[in-house]
Amino acid sequence: MRFKTSLAKEPKHSELVSCVAWTTSEELYSCSDDHQILRWNLLSDETTTLAKLPNEIYATDIHFFPRGLGGKGKQTQADVFVLAATDGKFHLISKSGRVEKSVDAHRGAVLCGRWSYDGTAMATSGEDGQVKIWSRSGMLRSTLAQTGSPVYSISWSPDSDQILIINGRHLIIKSMQASAKPLQWKAHDGVILKVDWNPINNMILSGGEDCKYRIWDSYGRQLYSSHPHEYPVTSVAWAPDGQLFAIGSFNTLRLCDQSGWSYALEKPNVGSIFNIAWSGDGTQVAGACGNGHVIFAHVVERRMEWRNFEVVVVSRTVIEVRNVMDDSKEKLEFRDRIIKTSLSFEYLVVATSSQCYVYSAKNWNTPMIFDLKDGTVTLIVQAERHFGIIDNGGLHLYTYEGRLMSSPKYTGMRSDTLSVQTLSISNDTVAIRDKTDEKLVHLFDANTGKALESKPLAHKMEIVEVHLDQCGPPAERRLAIIDKNRDLYLSTVRNFGKPAKIVKLGTMIYSLAWNDQTNMLAALQDGRLTVWYYPNAVFVDKELLSSTISSKDTSEFGKSPQIVNFIGNHVTIRRADGALVGTGVSPYPVLLYELVNSSRWDDAVRLCRFVKDEAVWGCLAAMSSYAKELNTAEIAYAAIDMVDKVQYILYIKDIPLKEARAAEMALFCGNSQDAEGILLQANLVFRAIMMNITLYNWDRALELAVKHKTHVDTVLGYRQQFLNNFNKVETNKRFLQFAQGVEVNWEQIQTKIETEYQKERERPNAKSYGK
Amino acid sequence: MADEALSKAGLHFDELNKVRVLEPEIQSQTTELKEECKEFVEKIGDFQKIVGGFIEMVDQLAQEVEKEKMKAIGSRNLLKSVAKQREAQQQQLQALIAEKKTQLERYRVQYAALQKEEAEQAEFIEQFLLQK
Repeated sequence: MRFKTSLAKEPKHSELVSCVAWTTSEELYSCSDDHQILRWNLLSDETTTLAKLPNEIYATDIHFFPRGLGGKGKQTQADVFVLAATDGKFHLISKSGRVEKSVDAHRGAVLCGRWSYDGTAMATSGEDGQVKIWSRSGMLRSTLAQTGSPVYSISWSPDSDQILIINGRHLIIKSMQASAKPLQWKAHDGVILKVDWNPINNMILSGGEDCKYRIWDSYGRQLYSSHPHEYPVTSVAWAPDGQLFAIGSFNTLRLCDQSGWSYALEKPNVGSIFNIAWSGDGTQVAGACGNGHVIFAHVVERRMEWRNFEVVVVSRTVIEVRNVMDDSKEKLEFRDRIIKTSLSFEYLVVATSSQCYVYSAKNWNTPMIFDLKDGTVTLIVQAERHFGIIDNGGLHLYTYEGRLMSSPKYTGMRSDTLSVQTLSISNDTVAIRDKTDEKLVHLFDANTGKALESKPLAHKMEIVEVHLDQCGPPAERRLAIIDKNRDLYLSTVRNFGKPAKIVKLGTMIYSLAWNDQTNMLAALQDGRLTVWYYPNAVFVDKELLSSTISSKDTSEFGKSPQIVNFIGNHVTIRRADGALVGTGVSPYPVLLYELVNSSRWDDAVRLCRFVKDEAVWGCLAAMSSYAKELNTAEIAYAAIDMVDKVQYILYIKDIPLKEARAAEMALFCGNSQDAEGILLQANLVFRAIMMNITLYNWDRALELAVKHKTHVDTVLGYRQQFLNNFNKVETNKRFLQFAQGVEVNWEQIQTKIETEYQKERERPNAKSYGK
Repeated sequence: MADEALSKAGLHFDELNKVRVLEPEIQSQTTELKEECKEFVEKIGDFQKIVGGFIEMVDQLAQEVEKEKMKAIGSRNLLKSVAKQREAQQQQLQALIAEKKTQLERYRVQYAALQKEEAEQAEFIEQFLLQK
């Protein structure tokens, strides 16, 4: 990936350009020390003078009111921008260039003016070291902070509840709530000149006179520090989607990945770049240059790989596809600007500013084309059967034939905050992490767009990432959750009214990916690459989980690598320095999945015997137990030396009734409630009572016995036995109450139990488990 | 005798016997002086002309010299700034080279990783065939 820069032949401004801002993806405003505000139209390549400011006003910063905000004030407010100036005032100026309001704000120059993301407030900072909060009409609300040095730049937090402030070499995060303690840390060895806080990935970018740029998380922990440049870093800017950022310095423009390493460097002869702004669609940047130029840089040569296909966006409107297998090349040309592209599951989805093109890898000549309602696609997420397009209007699911399936939505959803971390799509389900309450995940049916449950899935911690698995039937859909503590949980998705089961799978997870063909899960876990061959094992038999894992040391990948994808048996990892490295995963689990999915259990056993790998046996044990395939489970458990499990499976196999076996298997998986439900549904009350007795679930056992008016004495008898064993006296009131009316006669109980089993065997559908 | 009387009266006769008020000798001397003076004035005039031409020439020379001097200073400065420009250019190119180098290093790492994986897979295939 790199920048393709373009400059006008002659500078349009006669003095240095101090700030730039985009209105649409085709129109830019620039302010200069020659007091002019210029409007650049990129479609017609024309530059017009919008306004000439009075001679005493030198602009320092401009910022447009956030777009796409609903509400009544939209008409009047949407097209206003704030212009901070050296005369100590900020000016609210309409898009047409009319100064609507000028407000005295600071002593000395106003250095920065920023609208909050929700548009309810504006913050300014000045040479007097103060940071002030204003209402959207320009009334002073409060003076948030007072520092000892000029505040060159400020930035709002993603939730618009905190502000990041520069104080010399320090950065301060100050909350709107006066009582909250501000977070302050030393960030650079020189004065900091610019900061930017991305609302999507929640990371902070800073650049200063020590000629470095650094990345921080919202707790002030350093994630990256660049090597020193030759000149101070004068501007930094995150791309809207948070995947990239741009750095400006003297004669320097740099494009970097969100993890800090640099994609490309440009050395245009433009002087210092004082301000950088990304266009709304994230395809290009504009830089305010010290010699009066405005530099435009378009991001080109974005590369994507999927299996044997390599896709490169070579220019604004051209994509090149290369099939590595036969080295055949295709050139795809578009009428409009390419905004987003995504390649996965044999399909290439390209969103331009007006249309969406869907190419199948089998046929590059005839794409499916449909019109987009809103030109600014911010994200494309693919699943095997359909894909999601996110624009200002929300999330829309389309099939690869181009048919709109559904538009899942919850109240208060803001599509501009969705990212690959907080949105996941699988063949039948869509999961979206809530933005206001980060503990919630909204789950939708992909076909209808309706919520799966009446309430969203709730986790006990704030969730950072959600990932749905891609294979298997909808009922077995699983959601991997990474929370704020970097713990990995696996949750059931379709619970039919019951609370979701959320089970912990691992800790210290930095990055994860589901496999595209099977439900294998790969994660980078504290210096190791862990692959869960069958994560579902955690719902079958927790003890098996540890033996269905493969773990590899990742020291060869350096510090803090990231998983890019997990395709077939190949995991692609990006190192912190940007290099792509791959590593292989055993191919046997994939084979095992195929055999199990087609119920070829004997072949599966043969495969395991051939491979002689405990992890594969573990997978088979879990898979067969889940499928209630007892013979296979017995063999598999025996192979991994779990005698107790083998014993229990043998016991289950002896049970004559299918329902009872199902219940025992549920019990085997630790779902006693499910087991009881199955038994009661099959009218096996006695077994249900006995199950509760063996689980020491006395109250429930008695309740069932009383409800069905049977075996009350059995329950009491066992209870008595239990109490005697532990030398205890009955204290439970219900048991005391029933003990009065019922006589416990062990012989009678034994015969009753015997007849129950006899009855079971005599049931018409009684049939022992086949070999 | 008559001559004496005449000279007393201030009258003289010259060789051509014309009456003169001045003594003929003085007369001839005066004429001589007059001639000499004329000659002198002429000579001075000539001198002035020559000196004027000389001054003009020197002035011209000075101008030329000044011009050349400025030229020399200019080109010397240019030389200096070219060196600086070169330095800046070199710095820029060096930065670009460094960038390419890191990219190369990335590719090298990727290549190594791919080679490793290839080796692993080859080994796997070999083992697979052996086990059969």
